[in-house]
Amino acid sequence: MRFMKFKRFDFFYDPYLLFSIILLSVVGLVVLFSASQGDLNIIIKQSIFVFFGIFLMICVSQPDPAFYKNLSALFLVISIILVILTILFGNEVNGAKRWLDLGFFSLQPSELIKIALPIYLSAYLYDKSLPINLKHTFISLIIIGISFRLIVFQPDLGTSIVVLLAGFYVLFLAGLSWKFIGSTIAIFILSLPFLWNNLLAPFQRQRIATFLNPDADPFGTGWNITQSKIAIGSGGFFGKGYGSGSQAHLDFLPETKTDFIFAVIAEEFGFIGTLILFAIYTFILLRCFYLSFNARDRFCRLTIGGLSLVFITTILVNLGMVVGILPVVGMPLPFISMGGSSLLSFYIAFGIIISMASHKKLIRQ
Amino acid sequence: MIDLQERFLERRSFIYRLFIVYILFGFLLLLILYQTFQLQIANYTEYELAALENKTHEMNIQPTRGLIYDRDGKILVKNIPTFNLISIPNKINDPKLFIQNIKSFIELSKDEELIFYEKFRSKARFNRELVVKTNLTTQQIARFEVRKHNLPNVLVEKRYSRYSDYPKLLSHVLGYIGSPSEGELTSILSEAIHPRQETIFSYSNGFIVGKSGIERTFDDTLRGEFGEKVYEVDARGKLLDEISLKSPKEGESIFTSLDLGSHVAANNALKGRRGAVVAIDIDNGGIVTLFSSPSFSINDLSNGISRNEFDILINDPNKPFFNRALKGRYPPASTIKPALGIFGLQNNLVDWNYSIQDPGFFTLPEDGRVYRGWKKGGHGQVDLEKAIIVSSNTYFFSLAYRSNIEELSNHLAKLGFGKKVCSDCFDEDKGLIPNPQWKRNKLNSGWARGDTVNLGVGQGYMVATPIQLAYYSSVLAKKGFANELSLVQTPEKKTKDVNLANFSPIDWEKLHQSMTDVINSPIGTSRRLKDLSSFQVAAKSGTAELVSLDSKEDYLLIRENEAQRDHAIMIAFGPMPKPKYAVSVVIENGESGGAVAGPVAIAVLKELVE
Repeated sequence: MRFMKFKRFDFFYDPYLLFSIILLSVVGLVVLFSASQGDLNIIIKQSIFVFFGIFLMICVSQPDPAFYKNLSALFLVISIILVILTILFGNEVNGAKRWLDLGFFSLQPSELIKIALPIYLSAYLYDKSLPINLKHTFISLIIIGISFRLIVFQPDLGTSIVVLLAGFYVLFLAGLSWKFIGSTIAIFILSLPFLWNNLLAPFQRQRIATFLNPDADPFGTGWNITQSKIAIGSGGFFGKGYGSGSQAHLDFLPETKTDFIFAVIAEEFGFIGTLILFAIYTFILLRCFYLSFNARDRFCRLTIGGLSLVFITTILVNLGMVVGILPVVGMPLPFISMGGSSLLSFYIAFGIIISMASHKKLIRQ
Repeated sequence: MIDLQERFLERRSFIYRLFIVYILFGFLLLLILYQTFQLQIANYTEYELAALENKTHEMNIQPTRGLIYDRDGKILVKNIPTFNLISIPNKINDPKLFIQNIKSFIELSKDEELIFYEKFRSKARFNRELVVKTNLTTQQIARFEVRKHNLPNVLVEKRYSRYSDYPKLLSHVLGYIGSPSEGELTSILSEAIHPRQETIFSYSNGFIVGKSGIERTFDDTLRGEFGEKVYEVDARGKLLDEISLKSPKEGESIFTSLDLGSHVAANNALKGRRGAVVAIDIDNGGIVTLFSSPSFSINDLSNGISRNEFDILINDPNKPFFNRALKGRYPPASTIKPALGIFGLQNNLVDWNYSIQDPGFFTLPEDGRVYRGWKKGGHGQVDLEKAIIVSSNTYFFSLAYRSNIEELSNHLAKLGFGKKVCSDCFDEDKGLIPNPQWKRNKLNSGWARGDTVNLGVGQGYMVATPIQLAYYSSVLAKKGFANELSLVQTPEKKTKDVNLANFSPIDWEKLHQSMTDVINSPIGTSRRLKDLSSFQVAAKSGTAELVSLDSKEDYLLIRENEAQRDHAIMIAFGPMPKPKYAVSVVIENGESGGAVAGPVAIAVLKELVE
């Protein structure tokens, strides 16, 4: 694309990201087929999401990044309104209101915010003088705080933390002073007991307590972690073979189709499968690093950097939970777990990243 | 270009910061990879096992018990298949409603209802099954099948019951089975592959264990080994496919030395009176008869009996559960006299020619106390032979008077008294041979010469069980040799010498002759038995006094109370001159040994010999 001239019907794409994301999506469908015990309804529904998502990603990568810079505020406002609507009218599942029923599909607007927030902050900081002054920092923090607080209302601990981090990533990359970062971390640590008592719902506290000592209650809340570890460990080096994971197929493993799908991969494809999955993710992340390094302007740089960090955070929180080194919070594995909202958000995110990658030369001319 | 310079610095700062975060996250990703490596490679075996344990569910299969045979191969105890209505109390909320529901299509007896209510709570607590009704008819099964979709807490299953065709005839020797105590259960299940898993039962009553008799002593042999069924299960514990099956090993059968016919004969002869009959095969020490009366049905005991019925049995003044053959303690009375005779001859206190004048009583020289014989006026001049035939008390009083009590009690121990004589009998009593040390410890008084005199006629402190009397009889029959008694047929049975020193074969001939003449001689105490058998029998009768009296007249008074009447005792062996069986009979409060116990002994010997 380097020497590609602008033409009206030019097709903008990044072959590395496109290939690796499509590969991940296919792997996700294959694993889901096993995890759902061959439930065709689930596979067909998820396939539709994947095809639509890839199509959406390609579409999103066609406009110039300036388009997103201009629309980012609208995108964030729409997302926030959707979250508010969810809190008011959403479907309640296990005491949490996360989904907005759209008839054909249940939307989880909090997934949109974790994309919309970093894009908006990147756009907001695009023309500010650096390092960002106190006023802009404060405004950014207020926007982050509103987004975070709304999702805490739902309540959705995992996503709210990722949203919080997404905002901080952009501020950090934009050159937030180390002093400020240091004092924020100090305040956070000091206010931990307050947060524990006031911000967390009892079931969330229970989950964290279980995480810290899973063996205390192996058949209660620790069950998920214990069974997940057994599934992964019993996979061994080569795995039990596709469709042969007893932990997944005899229902010992919880949430096989969504949060714990990595345990299915590890059980059926072993350490080899784990390595391959890690390799694909690493490849995508390194490509993002390269792209942000060569981004055409500050907006693109901050957006690619921020979104790729949201992506890796989601991966780390999910995997950390499944292998038992982080507490259990609802967090899907990107491009693998079943579920539309997270999937579509990441397709949109990577669509924008690809747009930024492939429209680079245009501005030079 | 300042702008450019600034841009360069900004970009450098950005890259620097992004790089820091990437390094941090890359490190976290490596940490997760390391954790995966720990799980999948380093601790693989542990997790592989855990996954395997997760998906398998083992169940023990109860083995069926071995059978019990008599010496001719007749089955004494077996397992019979029955169709039982089995409830799962854990799934029943209201037992009364449940029983009402069942009664609407299968009639239940009062007892069956009672047993259900009695056991309901404990069975529900331990999540065990409870049999509602055994032996369903095909009609009842059909009526259940129609309704079973509405009854998730009850099922019909083929289960075995322990069953004897002769439930009252061999109750005490065979014994019964029952539910094990928690301790017994732990010990039984410790032999299973997975002791803590649930069990698929083969018996109506669930876990069973021998509670008495052969069922108890040979429980290990009869029990067999648990099998195992392994199922694949899902996370909810629902059984999916059967993965493997190891069939249970059936318990080994016991081939006893018992003779069924002799028990029938003993039962017929005793006619329900309280007493015991023991008979021994002299060749090998095998117990052929071990009968105690009155009796109870082992089928009832083994397969469930209501509290009420059980209470009736346990409160019966005739004590049907009491195994008189092994545990009844009776004075041996005059049956001890041949043993005294042997002792006298061995120690040169008497010889076959020695005789005394029997005036009908013996006077203790020390204090002039009088010890009476059974016949007023006495037996005239008596030597040892006549003393045995007519059962002269005076002769044996005087013989005992001259005996050393320590030596005499040692002598009696050689003949089987005061110790267990059976190697595999359940709960055998040791009886008692008194000696000075025992009397001092137990009664805190010194040994009197009169005590030795009383011992001379088997009265006083000495007690013996019917099985000891039978053993003693067999030693006499085998002329000083004996086998340890046993209930089972074993190929190697060692005959041992009782070590009666200074007692010659000629002495044995004469002793056998005297005992044969107890029946054969016109003056013998048991002469009325002579025509009862076609073969000759050696015997010695005894009449055990329960109350010490001075005269016959006094006895007529206490006789009014049946429980104070004398016990009738008989030891016998035959056919003479080459005896094959030795027998002992005790009839509680039967009064005359020769007249009452004698015919029972002859009847059993006849059955065995003919």
